Amino acid sequence: MAKRQKKDIAFDIVNYVLLILIAFITIYPFYYILVISFNSGLDAARGGIYFWPRVFTLDNYRKIISDDKWVNAFGISVFRTVIGTALSVFFTSLVAYGLSYKKLLFRNGYYRILIFSMYFSGGLIPYYVLLRSLGLLNTVWVYIIPSLLSQFMVLIMISFFDEIPPSLSESAHIDGANDLQIFLKIILPISKPVLATATLFAAVGHWNAWMDSAYYVSDPKLRTMSYLMMEIINKSQAANVGDMQQNFRSATNITTKSLQAAVIIISTVPILVTYPFLQKYFVKGIMLGSVKE
Amino acid sequence: MNSKGASNLKPRSLWADFKKQAYLQSFVLIGMLFLFIFSYIPMVGIIIAFKDYRISDGVLGFFTSPWAGLKHFVEFFTEIESGMIIRNTFVISILKIIFTFPIPILFAIMINEVRNVRFKKFVQTASYLPHFISWVVVYGIMFAFLSGDGVINSVFKTFNLIDSPIPFLTDPKKFWALAIISDAWKEFGWWSIIFIAAIVGIDQSIFEAAEIDGASRFQKIRYITLPGIKSTINVVLILSLGNLLGGGMSGSNFEQSLLLGNNLNRSASEILQTHVLKAGLVQLRYSYAAAVGLLQSIVSVTMIFGSNAIVKKISGTGIY
Repeated sequence: MAKRQKKDIAFDIVNYVLLILIAFITIYPFYYILVISFNSGLDAARGGIYFWPRVFTLDNYRKIISDDKWVNAFGISVFRTVIGTALSVFFTSLVAYGLSYKKLLFRNGYYRILIFSMYFSGGLIPYYVLLRSLGLLNTVWVYIIPSLLSQFMVLIMISFFDEIPPSLSESAHIDGANDLQIFLKIILPISKPVLATATLFAAVGHWNAWMDSAYYVSDPKLRTMSYLMMEIINKSQAANVGDMQQNFRSATNITTKSLQAAVIIISTVPILVTYPFLQKYFVKGIMLGSVKE
Repeated sequence: MNSKGASNLKPRSLWADFKKQAYLQSFVLIGMLFLFIFSYIPMVGIIIAFKDYRISDGVLGFFTSPWAGLKHFVEFFTEIESGMIIRNTFVISILKIIFTFPIPILFAIMINEVRNVRFKKFVQTASYLPHFISWVVVYGIMFAFLSGDGVINSVFKTFNLIDSPIPFLTDPKKFWALAIISDAWKEFGWWSIIFIAAIVGIDQSIFEAAEIDGASRFQKIRYITLPGIKSTINVVLILSLGNLLGGGMSGSNFEQSLLLGNNLNRSASEILQTHVLKAGLVQLRYSYAAAVGLLQSIVSVTMIFGSNAIVKKISGTGIY
């Protein structure tokens, strides 16, 4: 018995050490970027900063806040995240609510159309042609309209709506309410958990998107923050390849690297402060999703 | 609809039923219209792979442009780089399944062995973080750590381990490892959610019985936990294989190759998807790009159905 105890303790120690290591590998990269973002860029270029800023400064953030290009891109990202997410969650839940009605005529047919479109697509080029024909290219709506409906989310929402007792809508019907009123006034308010999941997924998708900004838009005023971030990293990558030292220095103590760090933090913080609180919702969401598939 | 034939005999009652659910029908029909436009019209557009399509003709050009037979497919296969592109696509995809698939399972088992609830919660929450941030941010972090004057090279230099910086981000020989490790780092926590839930779902009395019989921790993992989550592993494996060319569970191949790929490592990073993008939207060879895209779709559809059949044959459980 004593031997087994010892073995158990050894197991626990190894397990804990490995998990602490895993947590460190996950968190430290973000922490390091945070430290660099608050350090003078010129000083950081000397190296040796790992856990704490050496020459503390807010210049990196000041530079971004005072640059119209970044402010505009931030605005575009906020706009598409707020408007795009709201519209997509509303539209997706509306469709899902209709589909969740068991006696809906042609329900099986609708289901098949939905599922088929999850597995098959026309691919990038025909899709691009479509966006072009619809006049969506180079407008802010190309960020919002094509992502209005998420088939995956429709399935997750249906399985949530299935749990709502039908007596709720039936009694409202008797009181003379129509299905739109029932959806808006009864169903949506009690569906907060699944709406939270859908909002998180949609918002993260919008906030992180950069490819649509790179290929469907050419007006610099419509670029998203993720796109600009990609651009400055690519620039310093190219300079790095050319064996130039990282000497993009202007008259200030800001370097492209320190600027990048600040941008990364600005774009990560909104996610960082939301997702831990929505954990119990999305954990359920991903489970339902995998079971449904 | 429920009573047999009733609706056939009286079409008016079908219309009456439909009218009764007019609101719900309209909700769904708007959704169907959306899918028709954004999913089904592009599917029809696949035919431009067999045509000489001009972008100025718009969507109608899908039908009006002249046929070109298999010209664009032949063009792809006679291109010098096609072999390299096909190889990269398959090698990256297969390596990703082999190396990234087991990690969330191992992590889930390790997490399950932790008794301290707060520690458990902390490690789990930390592990989800990379899933929610964009590949652009991951690219930025990788640049900070792996570039010539990045963290890793600086540490190596401090300890005199290297004379000149290791070109992690530009050496073609390092690209595959880079893609796999960064993908594993970003998604292991997220995919562990499913496996952790599956482990929690195992009947606890089995563990207690094994305890009484004197089973060790490893024996319990080997003979109870792993068999207990077998069907979950199968489902996730089928989904991953179904999206093999996209990059498995996370579907990250495209974004990774776009961001981490550059002129110096492209002999290892160029894949079908990036080739389609560049040929189509940069060089404006629409029909050619659609043809290459179609080749990838054919493999993908085969994988979706094939993976289910294979896993079913080996283990007895499928999902379709």
